Amino acid sequence: MTTRVQLHNVTFAYRPDQPVLKDICLSVEPATFLAVVGPNGAGKTTLIDLLAGLLEPQEGIVAIDGREIHSYSRRHLAEKVALVRQEHVPVFGFSVAETVLMARIAHVGQWGFERPVDRRTVADALDVTDTAQFASRPLADLSGGERQRVFIARALAQDTPIILLDEPTSFLDLRHQVAIYDLLKSVQREKARTVIAITHDINLAAQYCDQVLLLQPWRAASGDQSHSAPGAGAHYRVGSTHQVFTKSEIESVFGIRVFSASVGSENMFLPLGEMAKDAGRRGPPQPTDLA
Amino acid sequence: MHPFLSPKTLLTRVAAAILLLVLVMVACSFVGTEPISLKAALAGPALSSASPNPDYEILLRVRVPRILLAAIVGAALAGAGVVFQAILRNPLADPYILGVSSGAGLGAMLAVICSVNWTLWGRSPVAVFAFFGALGTVWLVWTIGRITGKFHVTGLLLAGVVVNACFSAVIMFLTSITRSQDVYATVFWLMGNLAEEEAFVLWASGGCVVAGIVALLFLGAQLNVISFGPTDARSMGIHVERVQFVALAISAFITAVAVSLSGLIGFVGLIVPHAVRLVLGPDHRQLLPLSCVAGAIFLIVADTVARWIVAPAQLPVGVITAMAGGPFFLILLIRYNRKVYWLS
Repeated sequence: MTTRVQLHNVTFAYRPDQPVLKDICLSVEPATFLAVVGPNGAGKTTLIDLLAGLLEPQEGIVAIDGREIHSYSRRHLAEKVALVRQEHVPVFGFSVAETVLMARIAHVGQWGFERPVDRRTVADALDVTDTAQFASRPLADLSGGERQRVFIARALAQDTPIILLDEPTSFLDLRHQVAIYDLLKSVQREKARTVIAITHDINLAAQYCDQVLLLQPWRAASGDQSHSAPGAGAHYRVGSTHQVFTKSEIESVFGIRVFSASVGSENMFLPLGEMAKDAGRRGPPQPTDLA
Repeated sequence: MHPFLSPKTLLTRVAAAILLLVLVMVACSFVGTEPISLKAALAGPALSSASPNPDYEILLRVRVPRILLAAIVGAALAGAGVVFQAILRNPLADPYILGVSSGAGLGAMLAVICSVNWTLWGRSPVAVFAFFGALGTVWLVWTIGRITGKFHVTGLLLAGVVVNACFSAVIMFLTSITRSQDVYATVFWLMGNLAEEEAFVLWASGGCVVAGIVALLFLGAQLNVISFGPTDARSMGIHVERVQFVALAISAFITAVAVSLSGLIGFVGLIVPHAVRLVLGPDHRQLLPLSCVAGAIFLIVADTVARWIVAPAQLPVGVITAMAGGPFFLILLIRYNRKVYWLS
């Protein structure tokens, strides 16, 4: 699976003259783990929707394997890109196995009856995500973390080179957040998938991701000229975690003060609120605070 | 390993359900105010040239047509109920929710008030007007739903509720200003009645309903995915808008056929899909055919009770479905409590 994702000068606006994304250029090599980070309203979900072919850009090209995304048929695209949305519970009581099996609909015929190969793919996806144990239980009976793993299993069963995730860890506790990222990383490494995930957790992204796309709301970036917008006139920044996750970048894009320190080779950030208990006593934060 | 639905299991279950349906049909043919015997009926249409065979007449001209009609209406309503619940992603949806009921009612009322007295294909003007009133209203609701935009399902539901309320008000207005006895007859008709129908009507409407259900069967797998929401479905390669439109159009059509045959029989389209889902799970590839058969069985039994319980008078079958359907559903709900997910 060597599938490259490219965005070339992509501009998207829900309302004319109020672009959410403006002139985005991005190239994601095969089997890369890309984190999409940025403040609320920066256009992260819009970007994922563009990559999933759910939206069409007003300008520019979204290409998968060098082919414009809307030249794919819906079904063909479903063999290239899988999407895991923010965690949700379906209306009807489908079991875990049934849910994961549905991902095979692009591969099986009209009647949707699975073949042995589909069963193997589903069983494999359940094993990898450690969800086989509750395969016959209904989705609604599972905890948030378990359910999120099931939806990742569904994306794996879709057997696509590219997996998109919209905040896969937003409702999970620390242990389950790490479990999801471990899972995504192993999927990327062992199955050579391209993983593109929106996240608010910069520190997890720094630990796991190879490439980062940092988005800033376009209006904030373009309206405030004195402000050093990331990149040259662009409202985004793309690069390795070391290039993008710097103290000044994070502070300017999110508009907060942060405490930064290195853990291993990566920069980690701790937001510092004005009303925090220690805010008055504390001078400029020192690395020794860590001790 | 995992309980996947295989084509073999599905075919076995559908065949078993159809066998049960045939048994119920046969059994109900011999229930009624007049006792009849199979042996006497088999003697043929006429005992002699002068006197017709009463057993044969009752069986073939009264009971069998009515049972077939109940089967057609029950299957159409239950099948449409499954589709409406899946597309609207709402377990409370029924085939009437997008304006079929009030549209049919308004159509029937207009036919009476304007004293239309021609017939179409042997159908009374009330039935014809109800049919087109139902279809026209669904079209109106669909159009309004589209205009309201991206969150199509919510828009559709709201449009359905508003149009239903509006048209119901118009129906009440017309009822109150008209003194005609026919209006009351129409109100009674709308309550849901089954009566003996001519063979041609049975063939034509039965053909339409069966064709519609067969077409819907092709959409079962897609309906499964769509019940997870349009975004998920599109990312899995489904043409969501196309499937939604085709499924709703077919369902509205077979519902309108059912309404023009029998008025508004409630509860079948709501309860039968729920009951089948409770027992056998939500997979639409199985839910759709089995709900159709179960709907047919349910309405045949309900109608048999309706024509027998206060004999020689007859109850509207809609009263029976509502009175029997509620408690029956509650029993299922308690019995299969662990499988009731949408309440959690």
